[in-house]
Amino acid sequence: MIIKIENLVKRYGSLVALDHLNLEVKEGEIFGLLGPNGSGKTTAINCMLALLKYDRGSIRIFGEEMAPDNYRVKSQIGVVMQDVAVFEELNVQDNIDYFCGLYVKDKNKRKELVEEAVRFVGLEEYRKIYPKKLSGGLLRRLNIACGIAHKPRLIFMDEPTVAVDPQSRNKILEGICELNRQGSTIVYTSHYMEEVEQICSRIAIMDHGRCIALGTSEELKNMIKTGETVTIEAVILEEEDLARIRELPHVFDVSYKDGTLTVRCTGARHNLLRILEYLQSRKIPFGRVFSELPTLNDVFLEITGKQLRD
Amino acid sequence: MLQQLKYAFVVKIRNFSIVFWPLLFPLALTTLMYFSVGQMDESDFDTIDTAVVYEEVQDRGNAENAVTAQKSGNDRFLQYLTAVEEDSDLIRVRQMEDEEAVKALEEKEVRGIYYIKGEDLSLTVSENSLSSSILESLLTGYEEGRQTLENVMKYHPEGLDEAVKMLGEYGTAVEYVSLGGNTTDTTAQFFYAMIGMACLYGCFIGFGCALWLQCNLTALAARRCVAPVHRLRVILTEFAAGFGIHFVNVMILLAYMKYILRLEFAGSYLSMVPVAFIGGMFGVAMGIFVGSIGKMGEGIKIGILIGVSMLLSFLAGLMNPQIKVWVDQSIPVLNRINPAAVISDALYCINVFDSPERLGQDMIILTAMCILMVAGAFLIVRRERYDSI
Ligand SMILES: Nc1ncnc2c1ncn2[C@@H]1O[C@H](COP(=O)(O)OP(=O)(O)OP(=O)(O)O)[C@@H](O)[C@H]1O
Ligand SMILES: [Mg+2]
Repeated sequence: MIIKIENLVKRYGSLVALDHLNLEVKEGEIFGLLGPNGSGKTTAINCMLALLKYDRGSIRIFGEEMAPDNYRVKSQIGVVMQDVAVFEELNVQDNIDYFCGLYVKDKNKRKELVEEAVRFVGLEEYRKIYPKKLSGGLLRRLNIACGIAHKPRLIFMDEPTVAVDPQSRNKILEGICELNRQGSTIVYTSHYMEEVEQICSRIAIMDHGRCIALGTSEELKNMIKTGETVTIEAVILEEEDLARIRELPHVFDVSYKDGTLTVRCTGARHNLLRILEYLQSRKIPFGRVFSELPTLNDVFLEITGKQLRD
Repeated sequence: MLQQLKYAFVVKIRNFSIVFWPLLFPLALTTLMYFSVGQMDESDFDTIDTAVVYEEVQDRGNAENAVTAQKSGNDRFLQYLTAVEEDSDLIRVRQMEDEEAVKALEEKEVRGIYYIKGEDLSLTVSENSLSSSILESLLTGYEEGRQTLENVMKYHPEGLDEAVKMLGEYGTAVEYVSLGGNTTDTTAQFFYAMIGMACLYGCFIGFGCALWLQCNLTALAARRCVAPVHRLRVILTEFAAGFGIHFVNVMILLAYMKYILRLEFAGSYLSMVPVAFIGGMFGVAMGIFVGSIGKMGEGIKIGILIGVSMLLSFLAGLMNPQIKVWVDQSIPVLNRINPAAVISDALYCINVFDSPERLGQDMIILTAMCILMVAGAFLIVRRERYDSI
């Protein structure tokens, strides 16, 4: 177990940011922390990094108690913060070199690592540029490079892809998988469920400082009733119709709002067909129709009763 | 370590506001002061009128000896004074009778009276000022020289001629010859306090360093806090870089005083460098310390620094030298622990008093406070976790 968090409680005044959080991260995995804004992801990471005081609980990393002066543990950790943290006064290459230098003393080795990191985030053309002149996305990439240049054993990434365009985002996500293949364990937080689903081997869903569900994305989806969500747009329905649809087999939740019908069904086949058959039999016209397999959003929705993203 | 130091330097130098305000502000203030105070006093410094009074030697029974003594001792002193008079415009000597001299002193026609009574020499002055210090040091200079002379006569009579010649150049008094037009006592005090303030202004550089040490203040610091670098090392690196830059700042100020404003102090500029060195070091250390204490925000701490450095400089006589005199008299200990006052005191020692012991004491006080500040900062940020980031 590379990280073991037990009963972690963190309060900001009267606000409980972490509420008896329990987590375990295994060596070699990409562990996703998924949760809406303010669910306590960043707070959890800052506690693990020994930056924040916490009220109760324990955090062990590599089997050791984490403390601000536990340099042995710290030397094997890399961090990509949610806020960009680079020196305005240093150019891209020097920034990476500086942060790498905090971990790696040997000059030649560092040079190699910096070079690798520059290529990793695709900033080859921007080596001598100062952060002020980088666009938001490029800045994010620099931020990532600064955190991972020294090839740490454990990497914390706190929403590293905010404001990065989809193409670079994919590149970064691939890079993260590559880092993982090279042996780094990664703790990745995000509120983009697609991202988390794409790369994480295990996911913890957080809400109000608690871990409300944990498992692989398959496991999480199997946890819930929803097997399929059918959405039909531009359809005019009476109360009676809704009641009839609700009675169809496998349907467990029907909502109707602004002419859009959303039907959630348990994982059986032909759900869509049955609903459409009903509409046709009643000669009710309808617009676009689509059917989705469950997403992590459904998991979140079913557990908390609210959308992961609004 | 070297790499860290290099980047610490680069980052600070590129950070205009942090480095250059502590440079520009004292420069600007010095210039303003130069035009308001410096020039006003320009004509104030005059040759010091001095009276010399021969007193009767009372011991009649030993009259013959006394006369000899008068010849050897007193005439030599008068010769010495005359030599100084001819050599420079420092003093103007007049021989007077006792009452006449006292009256002249009261009416400020002369600034001091040398009494010559056989072998005994004494000095009476009416006020404590630069002129009296000069007269005093002429006397001590002579007396130290006389000792040498007598030793030479006793042990190496053959070198006597050489020794007498040396006597004319002996002592600290000669250094005052270099005292130029526009730094009289009070004005010089202003500039000493100014240099003191410039040193303290290093606290803003130090404060910048502290910002990069504390993870609740900047994201950058947070990233450094998670790195496996010993806190003391981080602090010392920042301190070294901050001090390196600040020392250059203070040197620029001194150079500006010397080459542009052409202010002349009694002592050489070179001898003021060590004071600037330690003073500047203290300034940076103070900034790091204040930056590290407590969990208040950046704005509040900057406010504290501005307030503290202003107050300390004020007490050290920056706005009005009388304040320093007043503090010295009523709460002397305050100015022994007020770094601004200690710095300006050290400069005063170099230029006016020529008192190596007191200078040494000043330097020790500054160094000790400096170490205390850095150690304090280290203890504070060593294991620090924050309540909120
Ligand atoms: N310094 C602070 N002082 C007081 N409350 C805070 C502080 N930092 C965070 N909080 C509160 O703690 C809770 C958890 O915040 P946290 O930053 O950990 O959320 P997050 O999951 O990282 O959110 P996001 O997705 O927006 O980054 C929030 O309710 C937030 O308002
Ligand atoms: Mg966050």
